Formats: sequence, C-alpha cells, structure tokens
Amino acid sequence: MKRRGVILLLALGAVLGIGAPALADGVQSGADVHVAQSLGDRDLTVIIRRVAEVPGPVHVDVVTHAGSPAGEVALTLRAAGAPSSTTRVELGAAPGFHSGLLHVDRPGPWELAVDEATIPFVVPALVPSPWENATYGGFIAAGVLLLAALLLAVSGRPGLALVPSAGVVAAVAVGVTAALLAPSIPPVAAPGTELDPTFDNVMNPYERTSITDFSRPPVNMVPRMEDKDLVLSLTDGSSGRPVDDLMVHDSAFIHLVVVSPSGHLRHLHPVRTAPGEYRARLRDPERGVHAVAAEIARRGGGVQLLRSGVDVAGSAVAPVHDGKAETAMEIREAGRPSTITAKFGERDLQPWLGMLGHMIVVGPMTGGAAEAPIWAHVHSMIPPVPGMPGKPDESVAAYGPDVPFTYSFPLPGRYLVWIQVERDYSIVTVPKVVDVPAAKGVASK
Amino acid sequence: MAVVAGVLAVVAALVVLWPRGVETQPHLAETGQLRFELTPVSTRSGSNTFDLRITDRSGNAADGDVTVEPAMPQMGHALAPITAAPQAPGRYRVAGVDLFMAGQWEITVSLRGERVVIPLLLT
Repeated sequence: MKRRGVILLLALGAVLGIGAPALADGVQSGADVHVAQSLGDRDLTVIIRRVAEVPGPVHVDVVTHAGSPAGEVALTLRAAGAPSSTTRVELGAAPGFHSGLLHVDRPGPWELAVDEATIPFVVPALVPSPWENATYGGFIAAGVLLLAALLLAVSGRPGLALVPSAGVVAAVAVGVTAALLAPSIPPVAAPGTELDPTFDNVMNPYERTSITDFSRPPVNMVPRMEDKDLVLSLTDGSSGRPVDDLMVHDSAFIHLVVVSPSGHLRHLHPVRTAPGEYRARLRDPERGVHAVAAEIARRGGGVQLLRSGVDVAGSAVAPVHDGKAETAMEIREAGRPSTITAKFGERDLQPWLGMLGHMIVVGPMTGGAAEAPIWAHVHSMIPPVPGMPGKPDESVAAYGPDVPFTYSFPLPGRYLVWIQVERDYSIVTVPKVVDVPAAKGVASK
Repeated sequence: MAVVAGVLAVVAALVVLWPRGVETQPHLAETGQLRFELTPVSTRSGSNTFDLRITDRSGNAADGDVTVEPAMPQMGHALAPITAAPQAPGRYRVAGVDLFMAGQWEITVSLRGERVVIPLLLT
C-alpha cells in the first residue's frame, strides 16, 4: 500500500512537472512605431510605444525639435473610424519628449490622430501558434496518459495499462514532432505589412493564404500647392484608386525631399490627411519650380522613388543652410565607390529617422534639380548594440562625431550633395558640391 | 480506466487540433457622418453577396445610392462599380459579385461622397 502511494506521488509529480504552458509571443511581437511628421509649422516625431496588454494603455511620445512653436496637440485613437480615447499633450517651447496616455480595448487595426494627421498602426493579439498548441498538448496528453498507465499498473491490471502506454508514445511523438518542425515552418503573412489588417486577421494570424507575392503596383504622385502647404495626391498606377497602404519605413510614411531653384533642400515627412492625400508645409519658400522626390513603401514591400516638380509662388530671397562641418572627400571616377566623411567635432549626435546621418545626392546638374538624372538618399548607419534589439530613439545623444557615406556616383559631372544629422533636437544640413570625374577610357555622357 | 484515459486523450486531441475556421464576420468602418457594416456571405473566392447596413453616427438608417467598388490591390485590378439594391431602411444587398480569385480584396463602399475601404481576405 505504502509503495503504491509512492508510485502515485511520483506519477503525479511527472504530470505536474510538465506544468502549464507559458504563452509565447504571437506572430507579431510588436515594437515601438516611430513616425516623423511635418505637421503644420512643427517637425514632430511621434512614437507609439509597444502595447503590452490589451485592453490596456498606449503610451505615445511626441518629440519636438528646435524651432517648433509651443502649443497643444490633440491625440485621438480610432478603431474602424470610431474614436475611442482622446487626450491633449502640451508641447513646451524647449525641444524634447512630451508624453500622452491613451487606451485600446481590443487588438486590431487602429489609427492615431495627431490633430489633422492620422497614423494607422496595428495592435497585435497574443495568439499561440498551432504548433505551440500541438507541442504543449502532446506533452500534457502524454503526462495524463502516463498517470493512467501507472494507476492501471498499480491496481493490478498491467495488461490494460498497455493501452495508455501506447498513447504516451503517440502523444510524445506528436509533441516532439511539432517542437522540432516549428522552427522550419514558414512565417504567416503579417497583417499590416503584407495583408490589409482587419480585426479578424489580427485575432487569427495563423490563417494561411494562397498569396505568395504581396507586392503592389507603382504609384503616381501629383504635387500641388495649397496656400503654404505642399499637397501630394497618391494614386495606384494600375487602378487609379487612392493609395492608402503606405508603411512606415525608415521612420516615416513618406520621405519627401524638396530642392528649391537655388539649391536649398528640405527633408519633410508629410502627414496623412485623407486616403491618398499627404501634406507638408513649406515655410518661407523661394519662388520658382521646386524639384520634388518622395520615397514610399506600399504594403507588401518594396520602396519606390517618385519624382516630380511643383511651381511655388514664394519670395525672391533664397534661404541658405547654416550647417557647417569639415568633410573629407575621397571621390573616385563614376561607377566606383566614393566616400564622403563629415566631421562634426563632438560625439553628441542623435539618431535621426533611425540613422546616424543622411546624404541626399542630386545630379549631374545641367539645369534644374528636377531634371537631374540621378537622385539618391544615402544612409550612414548606427552600429547595432549586441543584445539590444530595436533602435535607440532620439533621446540618445552619443553618436558621431564622424559620419561616413559611401556612394558610387553612376555618372560623371557636378552633383549637389546635402549631409543631414541631428544635434540638440535640431536638423543640421551641410550642403556640398561634388565633381565626379569620368571613368578612364569612357566618354562622359 | 483505459476507457477514461482514451476518452481524455481523444478530447485533448480534439481541443488541440480542432480546426478553428473563420466565419463570415461583419466588417465595420466609420466616417465622419456614417457607419458602414459589411457582411460577406462567404469568405471563399467565387460569386459573393454582401449585406450592408448603413446608419448615421447616432444609429438612424441612412438612405441614398450606395455603390460598391471591389478591387484587388496586388493585381492592380478593379471591378466596375455596382449599385447596391435597397432592402429595408439602412439595409442594402449586393448579389452576384464575381470575386474570382483568392487573396486580398478591398471593397470600397460609398454613399453621398462618404467612402470607406473594407479589406476582405478570400481563401
């Protein structure tokens, strides 16, 4: 009798030792969403922090930059167009982080409105995958069957105990197979980046689709001026419908570069004001035709560069860049990699748009920037810190001082180059002119 | 005992492996004035029927001409707009929509200039 009790206790221990499964992260682990927004006269970065639990709070940081006027912005969360929570954030005159607290009541597609700008984002649901269920289910069933087999054996029916014993083997086989195969199962299409997010597919992310190519057609961009605002109308290149599926890439929906006739550069991040409509303010613009280039990424992947021009009725005075930096240039002939290193002196640069620095290249210049055949956006990366997933935000001012860029100028000729970094919550733009020699033995085009 | 264990194992296997199918759910979308609710009859490719319920933000039935424009964004393919047939105040039905291919569709529903885009994933 005593021995029987010990066996029973051991069997119970075996079952309980398997324990309750810890729910692992679902298909999307979620991450902070950083979006640069040129909202009216302000250049903001809106950071939607990872939503830890649903229903639960959503922390939103609004980062202001130097020269941004003090005031108040309204933050509103909307699901399927219906507002659910709202708050107001007071923006001080000093640049920096300003926090707001909102609330989500369910996972799914959401929209954060910052005044008239709207930012779509997805609140993921934590759903265990089918193979996790099979793994845990297999081991739990094995435990239960083992207990049954032991009970039968100690109650003097070893013949019958063979049945649950066979079950233990089968259940362990299911669990081990699922656990071993899980890493090689291809990931499912993610709502938001590959599929249009809906409440259904966020709640049930393991539904498979037959789609293998998620890419979408190219986009037509029509810029126009509305008062002081540059308004971009984006339409699908195949169906003519408004393009309302832009993804955040390099911390913005659209990286808009506007070059004035005299060569003054603006790097703006238009805000979404309606489906397919984005706008950014041109402060104190110059008169004349401005070259416009927009980098976008549609749902399904792939970054597109859209180029155009717009006539601006501004003043005759050309604005000038006051950013200064020593540069070391190693310019090679066309087609070979050239390196330009900007030296900013102090090690206090902040990441801007997730990067240490940006270099815009336009050329070779024969007429206006709008006609230049080459238009490039070169990045200088922040080296990742081992063991730290994700990128540092702008509050880390510890990078630089040297910012290197390597770019192979495809054609010989004179290029306009602008190097941009962030320091003291202010964007520093350093203009340069680069003359690229022709490759030896090749006539210049 | 063995029977109990067997039943337990079968129940456990069913709980773990039961296919969790997606039923057709109503899809909600709101604009400044209107509230749209679209329920597809099927989530499979082929001929489909949409039931629409359109109200204003306070819940009163909306009236007017309702247009449905299906499009398949990945293919760059759009169908000609279809006018929905009114059934009752605020209720409309679009029958025989030929969504001939599985994948991501976007259904644009519009009434008096108010437009919503409702994503629909067909298998």
